[in-house]
Amino acid sequence: MAYARGEPRPFTAVQKKPNFWQRFWSRSNERVGYLFILPSFIHLIVFLVIPLGFSLYLSFTDWRGPNFQNAPFIGAENYQFLLGDRRFWNAMKNSIYFTLLSVPLGMVISLLVALVMNQNLKGVYIFRTLFFMPVISSWVAVSVVWITLLDPQVGILNYVLEGLGLPPANWLGDPLTAMPAVVMISIWKGLGFNMVIWLAGLQAIPQELHEAAAIDGASRWQAFRRITIPLLSPTTFFLAITGVIGALQVFSSVYVITKGGPRGSTDVVVFRIYQRAFEEFEFGLASSQAWVLFAVIFSLTVVQVWYRRRQGEETMF
Amino acid sequence: MLNRLSWKKFVTLLVIALAVSPMLVQAQDEVTLRIIGLRVTPEEEGRPLDLARKELISTFEEANPGVTIDALEAPPEFDTVLLTDLAAGTAPDIWYQDASTLDRLVDTGYLLDINACLPLVPELTLDRFAPTFLGIHQREDGAIWGLPDGGTPMVMYYNPESFERAGVELPTSDWTWEEFLDVTRRLTIDSEGRNSLDPDFDEENVVQYGFRVRQFIFEWIYWVWQNGGDVISPDGTTVSGYLDSPETIEAITFLRDMVLEYGVSPDPTTLGEMIQETGFLTVFLQGEVAIFPRGHWELTGIFANEEYTPERLGIVGNPSNVADATVLYESGWMINKAVESDPAKLLAACKFLEAATDAVPYQNSKVVSGLELSANAESAAAAPAASEYPEITQAFVDEIANGRLPYGARYSNWPTVESAIDLMMENILAGGDVEEEVAFAVEEINRELSR
Repeated sequence: MAYARGEPRPFTAVQKKPNFWQRFWSRSNERVGYLFILPSFIHLIVFLVIPLGFSLYLSFTDWRGPNFQNAPFIGAENYQFLLGDRRFWNAMKNSIYFTLLSVPLGMVISLLVALVMNQNLKGVYIFRTLFFMPVISSWVAVSVVWITLLDPQVGILNYVLEGLGLPPANWLGDPLTAMPAVVMISIWKGLGFNMVIWLAGLQAIPQELHEAAAIDGASRWQAFRRITIPLLSPTTFFLAITGVIGALQVFSSVYVITKGGPRGSTDVVVFRIYQRAFEEFEFGLASSQAWVLFAVIFSLTVVQVWYRRRQGEETMF
Repeated sequence: MLNRLSWKKFVTLLVIALAVSPMLVQAQDEVTLRIIGLRVTPEEEGRPLDLARKELISTFEEANPGVTIDALEAPPEFDTVLLTDLAAGTAPDIWYQDASTLDRLVDTGYLLDINACLPLVPELTLDRFAPTFLGIHQREDGAIWGLPDGGTPMVMYYNPESFERAGVELPTSDWTWEEFLDVTRRLTIDSEGRNSLDPDFDEENVVQYGFRVRQFIFEWIYWVWQNGGDVISPDGTTVSGYLDSPETIEAITFLRDMVLEYGVSPDPTTLGEMIQETGFLTVFLQGEVAIFPRGHWELTGIFANEEYTPERLGIVGNPSNVADATVLYESGWMINKAVESDPAKLLAACKFLEAATDAVPYQNSKVVSGLELSANAESAAAAPAASEYPEITQAFVDEIANGRLPYGARYSNWPTVESAIDLMMENILAGGDVEEEVAFAVEEINRELSR
């Protein structure tokens, strides 16, 4: 029906679109849901988002603490300084070395353990518990034990080497062996966690596939290579991503066992950040180091996700 | 009616006010000073240091009715926690602070200039302090950041039994670098009893080293001073011309050679292996290392060691080359600037510093408690006579005259410089070329200092 200009129109009730809050309060289910996540949301904002933003801001200041009034904004100077900071890049190199050693080795060893722990063996639950115990042990306690085991004179590892006819090593005192020693301890400590994840992945593989393969005459190795490994690929991807992220953030083992030595051979990025912030009190520079580390981790994660997608696999990211 | 009620209310309020006011007045006079530096570790409880501190507290509280001392435990990672507490407004009113990080604290603006105390407590006179110790806290503009409590020069600890075993005469404080090197070479002996000057000396089977050189600059900076060098410019802006000066490089080379050329000191790896099981002090007391540099604080550890006997310990001043020099490490009492806002607390804090730095009772007790020498000149002068081990105490007191202030007390960015120099020396002691490592460190440190 058409109306001429100026002609009065009959009154009709206009349905006004409800705004967000009206919609929110009208749906009791949503309301309850939001209320449930509210504490976590507040926690996230207060303890994650705000500190993240604050540290990003700090990275552009020369704050040397503790009075925040003494935090001059210096733009990108901290980042420029880091470009030529040889100790920082040495730490970055060490972190990457640690990652390249610990992640693949840790994954392979824990997969082998998980394969054994996935068998119907007597007392397997006890062994699973034993393998998981280092995960829940304190880093300090574990480190003290390992320092004793690695002692060049009375350590059991050198006894083993001597038994094998190999020369003893000064594990933590030699720049060549210190990082491999830290890697070894880290792998041992994280073995149980990786094993549990591998076990979950292994147990999600339908048994029928293995049975069918066996009927078709496939050997155990062929079944492992053609069935287990491909079907474990989401687990592999998860462990690789979390392993790389965790390894690049290694700190506790270095802090307790080597303090970055000898001769800076185990000086990793997070330990450097700690030293800058809490020994040299250069919070601005330490924050910029943390953000560079974030950029490296983020880039590596993006590359990993991209690579997996390129292979046509689904990712959770 | 309303007027009557108002009167009733007024009278009631008046009565309450009169009843409460003495309590309020009393509450105002009551002051609690929260102090870090008066508690000891559990192992030290009941020992002389603990008793001396408890006596200081009780004497002070008796002399100052209404003032209570709340002796707080020093937290681990003290410097970090203190800075956080200062920023949060929860720091103690007074604390005991190593002067090695004093300048950084001064920069924060949270310290009280002790000049504020001097008119309030006339008994607190600055002439009570040994000038070298007080100088660590004084600035050219007249400010005084904290007051010295006690300290120590770095000296040489030696084991007389090691000297006897090697057939070497005990040292005296007038020795030179040349004599020091000769002594340490003769003290370094192999399993056949040959010293390192012997052409048949077996360096693979050393049973006693003459000396201990480590990478940490706090243990060797005075060798550089003894040779007329330095590591940083007086204004703290550059290390060029100082760390790489011929005098400094010569001193560093001398130390390096003691490890790598003459083998009179175990290299860091060997040293690490030697001390892994029992700790260094046991190794020293058992005679495996004859001489090592350290401050007064090490005496407490030595006396508590099972291997200790008086025949195994001697103290002597540092050798000199072109100059006599050592470094003074010192700790003092700091007052939180926040107490300024409460006159009663300010007065109590100033009075506490007066009591804590007075000869009687606390400063005189330092000679017994053994941690450090008193910064109080009268107590320090009386210490050798009052000491159970007068010769040892005298050796420390004598060396104070050669003492220079630690650079952490003067340069706020010293921790950054220090860690770079420690790494440089670690590389040198591992075989790195001295001039190359120094040049590398100079470049690194200057980058840091230019920020």
